[in-house]
Amino acid sequence: MSLTRRELLKFSSIAAVALAATGCSLTEPTSENPESMGSVGMGTPAELAETDAPKVVIVGGGWSGLSIAKYTKKFAPNAEVILVEQRTEFMSCPLSNLWVVDAIKLEFLMHDYLQASRENNYTFFNATVVGVDKTQKIISTSDGDIAYDYLVLAPGIDYDYSEWTSDPVLERRLRTEYPAGFKPGSEHISLRNKVLDFEEGNFILTVPSGNYRCLPAPYERACLIADYFKKEGIEGKVILLDENPNITIKQDGFRSAFEKLYGDYIEYLPGSKIINFDLDNKKVETEFGEIIEFADAAFYPKVRGSKLLEIAGVAKDSRFNKMEADINVFTYEVNGYPEIYCTGDARPMGFSKSGNTANTEGVYVAKQIAAKINGKKEMPAWESPLTICFSAVAMEPILAISINAGYAYDEKQKAFGFTDVYANEKWDGRVGKNNGKGLMEWAKGMYRDMFNA
Amino acid sequence: MKRRSFLKVVSATGMMIAINPSMINQVLRADDGRLYKSYARVQLLNAEGTPMTEQMLETSENYVFNYPYEGTTTLLINLPNESAKDVSLKDEFGEAYLWKGGVGSRRTIVAYSGICPHQLTHINKKDSFITYRKKGERFEGHVVCDGHTSVYDPEHGCKVMKGKAPQPMASIVLEVGDDNTLYAVGVLGPDKYHEFFKSFRRELKEQFGSKRNAKKEVVSTAVAMRLSAYTQEVIQL
Ligand SMILES: Cc1cc2nc3c(=O)[nH]c(=O)nc-3n(C[C@H](O)[C@H](O)[C@H](O)COP(=O)(O)OP(=O)(O)OC[C@H]3O[C@@H](n4cnc5c(N)ncnc54)[C@H](O)[C@@H]3O)c2cc1C
Ligand code: FES
Repeated sequence: MSLTRRELLKFSSIAAVALAATGCSLTEPTSENPESMGSVGMGTPAELAETDAPKVVIVGGGWSGLSIAKYTKKFAPNAEVILVEQRTEFMSCPLSNLWVVDAIKLEFLMHDYLQASRENNYTFFNATVVGVDKTQKIISTSDGDIAYDYLVLAPGIDYDYSEWTSDPVLERRLRTEYPAGFKPGSEHISLRNKVLDFEEGNFILTVPSGNYRCLPAPYERACLIADYFKKEGIEGKVILLDENPNITIKQDGFRSAFEKLYGDYIEYLPGSKIINFDLDNKKVETEFGEIIEFADAAFYPKVRGSKLLEIAGVAKDSRFNKMEADINVFTYEVNGYPEIYCTGDARPMGFSKSGNTANTEGVYVAKQIAAKINGKKEMPAWESPLTICFSAVAMEPILAISINAGYAYDEKQKAFGFTDVYANEKWDGRVGKNNGKGLMEWAKGMYRDMFNA
Repeated sequence: MKRRSFLKVVSATGMMIAINPSMINQVLRADDGRLYKSYARVQLLNAEGTPMTEQMLETSENYVFNYPYEGTTTLLINLPNESAKDVSLKDEFGEAYLWKGGVGSRRTIVAYSGICPHQLTHINKKDSFITYRKKGERFEGHVVCDGHTSVYDPEHGCKVMKGKAPQPMASIVLEVGDDNTLYAVGVLGPDKYHEFFKSFRRELKEQFGSKRNAKKEVVSTAVAMRLSAYTQEVIQL
C-alpha cells in the first residue's frame, strides 16, 4: 500500500498506531514512482500534531540546521518548523580541541535541543532520517514518516576512506581504533582519553586534502596536544602528517607556534600522504617511503557529503570532495527540486566548512524559505556567509589566532573565493590572550544564537 | 535644548508610555511602544558624583552608565564630529524608526545600549568586547562589537556597517537640561533587554546579587564612568 502525501498529512496519531499494526509502508517504491526508491521508513506517520500550516522539515541539528530552524520560524511565524536530529543532545565540535586537553569543561560544549525548540517555537523530533521521497515530499525516519512542503538537508559530513583503503576491515579498524575526531560524540571522547592517558612516543595526526571540515582544526589540535604533553612532562611528540604542501590556513600563526612554542613536541611533515597502514605493528608508510612508528593516533581521512545526500538522490562530486550537495550555489535549492535545500558542511562550494559559515549561511537560507512561505515575489538578494574562525595555540592561558573572511563569486573561475580577509595571527602577548578571550566569546554568542530565543 | 514635554499615550498592550511628540511622524511607530520606550528621566553624574555636563566628556572616550536598568549598560560617547540628523533606520523585520541625532552644542553626544543586537555580547563588569574606536584604531570612528566583528556607525544612529548584526544598536535618548546637564530619558530602536535578562540569569546573579536587582529600573541618577573603570578588561581584537 502506498499513501499519498495528502493522506499522510491527514493522519492522526491514532491512525498512526493502526497503521503500525498493519505494517503498511508509506514509501514503498513503485515503478511509477522511482523517486521513492531508497525510502525504507517505518511506514507509519510520525506522531506529530496535524496543522494546515506550511511545513518546513529540517534534517540535521548541527550548526546549520539549528540556525535555519530558528530563523525560518522567526521570519515565517505561520510555518510549522520541525527539526529532525538523530542525536539526543548537541555537542560542539568548535572548541572541542580545548576539551580534549582538559582546558575547558564538557558543559561548555553540550547543549539542549529541547531548549532550542522551546525558545524558538519549533518542534524537535529525535529520529534518524533513512529515506526521502522527493515526488511525494515525504521523509522516512526511524520514528515514522513526515510530509514536508519545504525540506532542508543539513546532515554535515561523512568520512571518505577510499584514498587510504578499499578494505572494509581496515577501514572499520581505522574508524574504531583511531577515529578522526571530526564528528562530535564518541570520537571526541576516544581522542580525549587517548591524549590524557598518553605515556610516551609518537602521536600521529593527519591533515587530509580537499575541502575538509574546519581547515585550522588539525593544526590547532596539534598545538594543544603538544601543549598538554609539555605541561604534563610527557615524553611524547605530535607527528602532523599533512597531505597538503603547506599549512592550509593561518600559516604564519601556526608555523611560528610550532617553532617557538613546540619545537621539541611537534614535527610537521607537509606533503605527506599515508599509503600504507600497519596497525598491528603501529606503523604507517608515507608516499616518500618514510616509515613512521606511533604509540597512538587520530587519522583524519578526506571528507565527503553525508551519506544521506546519496540516499536522497541529491549528491554529486564537487571540485573538492565526493558526493556533496547538487544545488544552485546561490539559492541552495537542489537542482530540479526547488523546495529542497542543502546547507552546511554538505554544500559543494569551497566555503570554509566551519560553524560560523553554517550559522550565517543558515540565516540567509531561512530568509529564502520564509520569502516563499510569505508569498514574496522577489527573493532576498544573495548574502555572503561570514567565516570567523579562531584557533587556540596554547591553553594556559588560552592564546589564539583568528581569521575573518567573506566570499565573492568569480564569474571567470565559476567559483567562490575569499574576500575582505582579516587575519590576526599574532598569538603572543596581549593580542594572543585577547584572541583567546575572543574565541570563548565567539562561541558563547553562537551557542546563544542556536539555543536561545 | 530644553526638556521636551512628553505626551502620554496608551500602547496596544495597555502599557502607559511617554512619547516625545517631536518624534511622532510616519516612520516612528509611536503608539506601540516597541521602538521607543520612555524610562525614568535620569540625570548623569560623573565619577565624583557631580552632574555631568558636555564639557566633562572627553572627546572619543568610552563612557558607561547603567540605564534603563541597574543591570544593563549604556555606552556614552562624545564624538569628534557632529552627528547626522533625522536618520531613518530599520529593525530586523524592516520596521522603520527615526533617529534624531546627538545632543550637545555640536550634537556630538550619543548613547547606545551596551548589548549587541547580534548575539548579545554586552558590556559588563568583567569584560567588554564593545568599544567606540578612536583615531588610529581599527575601524576608527565606529562602535565595534568584537563578539563577531559587527561594526556600527555612531554618527548615524549606530546603523550596521559591517558584520551580521540584523539591526542597529538601540540608542538611548539623551536630553540636555536647563542647567546644561545631561539626562537619559528613554530607549529608541529595537532593544534586546528581554532576551538579555533571559540569557544571562547566572551572570547577573554573580554581578548584581540577583536577576531582580539587575532588573530594577534606574531612577533619578546614574554615574557615567570611563569604560576602563567600569569593566575589568576592555578587549579589542
Ligand atoms: C574539532 C573541530 C573543531 C572545529 N572548530 C571550529 C571552530 O573553531 N570554528 C568554527 O566555526 N567551526 C569549527 N568546526 C567546524 C564545525 O563544527 C562544522 O563546520 C559545523 O559543525 C558544520 O555544521 P553542519 O550543521 O553542516 O554539520 P553538523 O554540525 O555536523 O550537523 C549535522 C547534524 O546532522 C545530523 N544528521 C546527520 N544525518 C542525519 C540523519 N540521517 N538523520 C538525522 N540527523 C542526521 C547529525 O547528527 C548532526 O547533528 C570544527 C569542527 C571540528 C570537528
Ligand atoms: S554579539 Fe556582537 S557581533 Fe556578535
